[in-house]
Amino acid sequence: MSTLELGAPRSMYRSVRKYAKIYRASLVERMAYRSDFLLGTVLRFLPMITTILLWQAIYKGGEDSTQAGFRLNEMIAYLLLTNISRIFSSMPGLAGGIARDIREGTLKKYLIQPIDMIGYLVSYRMAHKTAYVVISALPYALLFYVCRGFFDTGWPDLLTWVAYLVSLILAFFVGFYFEVCVGMVGFWFLEVTSLLYIVMTLNFFISGHMLPLDFLPPFWASFLKALPFQYMAYFPAVVVLGKVRGQDLAIGLLGELFWAIFFMMLARTLYTRGLRRYSAFGG
Amino acid sequence: MVASLIKYARMWASLGRYTLARELSFRGNFLVKISVEILWLFILIAFFSTVFGRTKSIAGWDEWQYMFFVGCFFALNGLIETLFLDNCNEFAELVRTGDLDFLLLKPIDEQFLITCRRIDWGCALNIPMGFGVMGYSLYKIGGPVDPLSIPIFLMTFVSGAAIAYSFMLTLTSLSVWMVRNQSLMEMWWLFSSLARYPREIFVGTWASPIGVFFTFFLPILLVVNVPSQAMVGLLDWRMVGFTLIATVLCLGASRAFFRFALKSYRSASS
Amino acid sequence: MPIIEAQGLTKTYKVFQKKDGLLGALRGLYHREYKEVKAVDDVSFTIEPGEMVAFLGPNGAGKTTTLKMLSGLIYPTSGTAQVLDFLPWKREDEFRRKFALVMGQKNQLWWDLPAADSFQLHREIYSLPLADFEKTLADLTELLGVQKLTRQAVRELSLGERMKMELIAALLHQPEVLLLDEPTIGLDVVAQVAIQKCLREYHSQRGVTMLLTSHYMRDIEALCDRVLVITHGKLVYDGPLVGLTDRFGAEKLVKLLFDGPAPSDLGRFGEVTKVEGPTVDLKVERTRVAEVLGAILDAYNIVDVSVQDPPLEQTIAKVFQQAEPANVDA
Repeated sequence: MSTLELGAPRSMYRSVRKYAKIYRASLVERMAYRSDFLLGTVLRFLPMITTILLWQAIYKGGEDSTQAGFRLNEMIAYLLLTNISRIFSSMPGLAGGIARDIREGTLKKYLIQPIDMIGYLVSYRMAHKTAYVVISALPYALLFYVCRGFFDTGWPDLLTWVAYLVSLILAFFVGFYFEVCVGMVGFWFLEVTSLLYIVMTLNFFISGHMLPLDFLPPFWASFLKALPFQYMAYFPAVVVLGKVRGQDLAIGLLGELFWAIFFMMLARTLYTRGLRRYSAFGG
Repeated sequence: MVASLIKYARMWASLGRYTLARELSFRGNFLVKISVEILWLFILIAFFSTVFGRTKSIAGWDEWQYMFFVGCFFALNGLIETLFLDNCNEFAELVRTGDLDFLLLKPIDEQFLITCRRIDWGCALNIPMGFGVMGYSLYKIGGPVDPLSIPIFLMTFVSGAAIAYSFMLTLTSLSVWMVRNQSLMEMWWLFSSLARYPREIFVGTWASPIGVFFTFFLPILLVVNVPSQAMVGLLDWRMVGFTLIATVLCLGASRAFFRFALKSYRSASS
Repeated sequence: MPIIEAQGLTKTYKVFQKKDGLLGALRGLYHREYKEVKAVDDVSFTIEPGEMVAFLGPNGAGKTTTLKMLSGLIYPTSGTAQVLDFLPWKREDEFRRKFALVMGQKNQLWWDLPAADSFQLHREIYSLPLADFEKTLADLTELLGVQKLTRQAVRELSLGERMKMELIAALLHQPEVLLLDEPTIGLDVVAQVAIQKCLREYHSQRGVTMLLTSHYMRDIEALCDRVLVITHGKLVYDGPLVGLTDRFGAEKLVKLLFDGPAPSDLGRFGEVTKVEGPTVDLKVERTRVAEVLGAILDAYNIVDVSVQDPPLEQTIAKVFQQAEPANVDA
């Protein structure tokens, strides 16, 4: 990327401005569809309600009030918080869109215009996420206010807040670059949507979106915690619940940073290689 | 009446044949679809096995009763996805591009043509898979099966599918007014989450009214609960009767709403 | 007894006014402004059975909207229409069995299946007897020369071949009324001519009533005797194709062949559109043709002379331009 060249502040400024423009235009587009937002937000709460009720019933049927280190309230707080994690880390349509661009040849638009595809996609996605966070902030605030009874571990301290914010932002990048990598597979295999379905389905479970990884047998729990997927749901939630502290927290955040950079570089490599292959075949 | 029923049944059969031919020409895709569904069933089973490792019952359903419920949900959902979900999902796109025009011009019921056009064979395996889980759960529960409960189960199973279809049709109709609709697939997934768990989990001051509302006013909770209850729980005749009445009402109301939506459909290009 | 009858057809749309910029979009979330647009404005005409009529007009003039009202896809805001003695927007099955709509920009065949499968499905939908169906299909595929292509997946066909298949699908149930919206759009000349030929022959064999819109004058010249001109939603002309020139073509084209190089002062007689050695094309107002010809014959040695109407396309363009100011006033 030209922005990384040394001694080119002007070009860097222009470049930032260009992507800022893309960001703004995309944001306008997102806001225009109010009905999407309204109905979507209302419906989005239904699974949360049923999930809360399910876990209440599960804990009622069990003998211990603490399961795998989670009390019922903590459990529900955890599940609510994974939704926040998913807001940052889920990228609907990203990999599929890239694969389609490759398959249908619309990828050329990035090659003809003086614009970097991954750079464009980051800007677009950040706009998308910002709009989503802004629009859903109010209903979510309301939801958390209504559900405040479940958050009984006390107000997190400043350090925890900072760590939580960092883990969410990193979750965005892990999620983003991971999906970009999946999309890039489209350079080699035309049918990526199916691969994507498998990944998404599996991700739902192994990211800890359905239940905390600690519930699983110890071997599986530690195995899944070594994979990057836990950062897309599990990790930020347990950070803000104060279940990861001190050294573990530092290691966790470093691991998250590692995976974000890993996927970023992998995406870049796949893109460069893929393009070479793409142009060799004449598009 | 009978003649037209036969005509529609024949047409549905040929639609099914053509879509199967089409799916088989994309064999790779077909296999992946099936493996996703199998994976999903495994995840569900893994989830509830984990849960039942730590609890004895959920809202009065013990492990194998609950697994029967999961299998019933899986089969019902598979039925709906096989027959209707893809078609309904495509409706918004038909409205956006104006290709809906062609369907409206055919001398055939619009609702049939729009919602039954294609059969998604990739999901069809979910039905036997769900029945497999139900069968295994019955075996685990042991004891004799009341012969009366089998026809009741099948009848309420079909009713449940019809009620779910009505709700899907209603959500689909909404896309006439929403220019760039959120995908129906997602809306359906969110809405049908209500039917995913037993009705008995809706307890407590704020939850019981929700449970009552979605049982008696928007009866989505009847879909999986009544057939499962009939088979592995207590057979409640009043509930079965109500389910049958609700099925007729839901089908009628959703059809009326769909026709109302079509009326305000405006072709995308002038 | 007319087969199509439209009386005062009017269609008004509400169009959402999207505001610029971020603030505008935000405001759009809560408050929307709409503008009313008259797509079709008080259009009346009748068409007799067996006629082939063309609908002419610039983009957005209301041609497609009118066709959609006639086929019952959309309701008119006011006015009424009868097609085959049916009220189209009641969409009775009996009515839908008797007509067909072909749209050049859209396809109704199943993309991933051979066209033959779509035809079979069509047979089920329209409940066609097998023998009739096979006879019609054989006739049509032969007429269009696509016998070998019906077993090929539609997505693998060229645009022209696909359009031929669309046409076959539309004609399989032997409609009495055929509405065609830009049937040859984007096709090459060979495919265009093939489609025209098919429509003409089908018409002479079955006497089907046709109403078509097209951008290509060639389609219209080849197929239709009568034209309806619509601009800005209003019907401005209804009559024979040749009459268009009489009504709107205010000028004639005088072609002159001089004995020797052409003189350079012909501009005083009219607009010189072409000079090539001894030949000159001169546009002259219709009323002054005789006077100008006399003057030129007096002044120069002329080898040959002919007086023609300007090309139809120029006349049409003029019709569209002329209609514009009148509408702005209204």
